[in-house]
Amino acid sequence: MYKGQRGDSKNRFYQRRKICRFCVDNGMDIDYKSPKALKQFITERGKIIPRRITGTCAKHQRKLSLAIKQSRQIALLPFVGRPPQ
Amino acid sequence: MRKYETVVISDPDLQDQTRTELFDKIRNIIARENGIFLNLDEWGSKKMAYEIRKKLRGHYACLTYGGTGDLVKELERNLRLTDDVMKFMTILISDAVTAESLAQELKDAEDAKAAAADAAQAADTTKDTETDPGTQVQESGSDEPAAETVPETAETVTDDKN
Repeated sequence: MYKGQRGDSKNRFYQRRKICRFCVDNGMDIDYKSPKALKQFITERGKIIPRRITGTCAKHQRKLSLAIKQSRQIALLPFVGRPPQ
Repeated sequence: MRKYETVVISDPDLQDQTRTELFDKIRNIIARENGIFLNLDEWGSKKMAYEIRKKLRGHYACLTYGGTGDLVKELERNLRLTDDVMKFMTILISDAVTAESLAQELKDAEDAKAAAADAAQAADTTKDTETDPGTQVQESGSDEPAAETVPETAETVTDDKN
């Protein structure tokens, strides 16, 4: 059963709706001083992962991107990360 | 008045005395510009994500204070002139704070610190008074947990394999 099936495209499959991690867990706050938490939302290259992939809501993605940029500024996160060999 | 937070990355090879002088200087600037110094949180020497001035490590410190925009301007000008400071970043935390609310906050923080110190002291004194029964309990209890822990660790190992 494909819930997300639309039109004729038979190969469409239902994708589980992603939920914002910050909305679910109230104790989890976005802070530029904790790079460990922010690392989950950047790629190995150091790019911010779009919210269509992580499922973060718009409100929290705005705060997240600001925190990541501030964290980069004080060298807690890289501007350009090196991918693993 | 506004509440700000400044993260200062200073040279990791600095002597302790030079570093305290640096923070004293920052505190003096805040006092001179009619600001209220709230807190200094030293994170210590940390590895940085990229090199700054050819250095891989930096000594991080986070200052919290209340003041006006002119204070930040003056403070940042001074930080820029200081060679020991490699990088800094100021962030606005709260827009609408009054001198009274900041003084209250400072007092609350001090009270909490004093309470924690008192609690630690109280714990110490109770420890001192209960030395005799405490040692007895420890001696009698020491055999049983030791015996229990051995099978527990064995179980966790098998779990990991599965």
